[in-house]
Amino acid sequence: MLKFLPYILKTLWRHRARTLLTFSGAAVSLFVFCFVVALQEGLDRLTSQSDSTLVVFQANKFCPATSHLQQDYDQVISKLSGVREVVPIQVFTNNCRASLDVVVFYGVPPKKLRSVRDFELTAGSWAEFETNQDAGVVGQAVARRRKLKPGDRFSIGEVTVTVAGIFASQNKAEENYIYTHLEFLQRTPGLNLVGTVTQHEVVLDPSADPSHVAAQIDERFRGGPIQTDTRTKGTFQAASLADLVDLIGLTHYLGYACLGLMAVLILTTNFMSVQDRIREHAVLQTMGFSGELVFSLIMIESVLLSFAGGATGILTAVTVLANAGIAVSAEAVSLALTPSISLAVIGLLLSIAIGVLAGMLPALTAARTEIVPALRAA
Amino acid sequence: MLIEIRNLTKQFRKGDETITPLHDVTLDIDRGEFVSLMGPSGTGKSTLLNQIAGIDRPDSGTVTVAGTEITRLSRSRLARWRAEHVGYIFQTHNLIPVLTAYENVELPLLLLPFDRAERRRRVQIALEAVDLVDRADHYPRQLSGGQEQRVGIARAIVADPTVVVADEPTGDLDPATSEQILDLLQRLNRELGTTLLMVTHDAQAAAIANRQLRLDNGQILEIEHSLESVSSQTERH
Ligand SMILES: Nc1ncnc2c1ncn2[C@@H]1O[C@H](COP(=O)(O)OP(=O)(O)O)[C@@H](O)[C@H]1O
Ligand SMILES: [Mg+2]
Repeated sequence: MLKFLPYILKTLWRHRARTLLTFSGAAVSLFVFCFVVALQEGLDRLTSQSDSTLVVFQANKFCPATSHLQQDYDQVISKLSGVREVVPIQVFTNNCRASLDVVVFYGVPPKKLRSVRDFELTAGSWAEFETNQDAGVVGQAVARRRKLKPGDRFSIGEVTVTVAGIFASQNKAEENYIYTHLEFLQRTPGLNLVGTVTQHEVVLDPSADPSHVAAQIDERFRGGPIQTDTRTKGTFQAASLADLVDLIGLTHYLGYACLGLMAVLILTTNFMSVQDRIREHAVLQTMGFSGELVFSLIMIESVLLSFAGGATGILTAVTVLANAGIAVSAEAVSLALTPSISLAVIGLLLSIAIGVLAGMLPALTAARTEIVPALRAA
Repeated sequence: MLIEIRNLTKQFRKGDETITPLHDVTLDIDRGEFVSLMGPSGTGKSTLLNQIAGIDRPDSGTVTVAGTEITRLSRSRLARWRAEHVGYIFQTHNLIPVLTAYENVELPLLLLPFDRAERRRRVQIALEAVDLVDRADHYPRQLSGGQEQRVGIARAIVADPTVVVADEPTGDLDPATSEQILDLLQRLNRELGTTLLMVTHDAQAAAIANRQLRLDNGQILEIEHSLESVSSQTERH
């Protein structure tokens, strides 16, 4: 088959305008598709995450600005069996609704941060963070978006932090947050938050039953001044992003629609290419090219086009996803769009499949053409 | 006999009308013969030629070429057979426009078990035979009509086929160029011993063949059979 490659490539090159348009269509389709899949993958990562971590929130509250729990609930919770550690967290965000450029501060006891998160500093130092009241460590996605580096001061509303470090995490969503001292956020001017927190994060022993412990916690505070609603972190995050979940489900269809469009585009190009060459294919068959060979040549043409276009779209999407640090956030939970191997592989396989699918009918048409009428027609 | 045609009949239906371009045709062509087939337009010359070239099938009768009854071959085996045994020269639009003269001539060889070096050697010989070595890298649109037709001839002979058929090879050319092409065909027959069947409606063109046939009313008529020329061919082999 390699012997026929010059013929195939030159045929594509001859109609370069048409080839380029189809190629671009394939690239754009796969680019969009990659974003849709990245969105879905990001959501799946958040909602399937950490079954062994619970989030205790004020009952019937949704935005972190309105949830206020007693900070000393942590004493009570940590005595329950199956609980390994309790981290009181004050959340501060500039925007509770779904948005692309949300800044979220998580105030935590500074000494506890490193034990409950896997952060690695890519710049700055932990000592700087732990010893300065107004210090914050910034996720690298935020740092990139806001162009922050250690030593910078950064304000949202009344909150001004000094960047002590930039961190990376296995959990890409975390890279969209800024962690500060708990007390610092509680003392934000204008907010009287000392003694209360937004939520408690409860790390469980691996052997503990999350739903059992969650029920125990809510039971324990039922009669208290503030009632709680405790869920696994995955469920909590899914609930926070609930509005987005439906939307993401919808984008899924848009992603597939894009692929459908690409299939139609390549199908059209293939049919045009076959129609243009009815006589040429008849000449080839006269020479001794079998129907099977003509079929294969057109299939290769189709797959080359869709694969090259698709691969370009995927490569562009992966580059953008890897470098732009795009995240969608709602209710202080961020969904990070990141590239993945599975994304690239699925994209490439789909490109090939679309090429095969869109090549089949035109190739069959060309292969089945009767030689003599085709020669007489031209 | 190289080509044995027996009781060949081919009909076409056009609405209620049935035309019979070939009616019970029986014909033998010997190895090394240069046969011309004449007749007015629409009598079935191309139809007969296409039966021999294995790109069309009769309604009844048989065509046997070099011992192979090609009318019995399956579609894909027939394609294989064409690659090995037939060179076809078309009237016009012969060449693949995206390929150079060299690549056009090489095309039939890609179907046969030749390596790159052997293909190169054969293409070179074929281009020399039509005197177009210096145009090897030209694309069809950069060639004159006569040159294009010569590339087509090189492509038809490059795989050293059992039979070469030409369907009005000069039909689209001016008289001077036509003469060149006819000379070339005659030389191929004389010097390489190529068995040639040429369809034409031009009596002058037909006259260069050593055997002239005429197709009329579905029947083959023998016009002239220059035995001398045939025997000289036989001596050469
Ligand atoms: N595929 C076909 N379908 C219908 N009629 C055909 C077909 N091929 C040839 N014919 C008819 O058969 C007759 C002979 O055609 P052809 O062999 O091309 O004639 P010639 O080559 O002698 O000019 C013509 O009347 C032509 O219209
Ligand atoms: Mg004809």
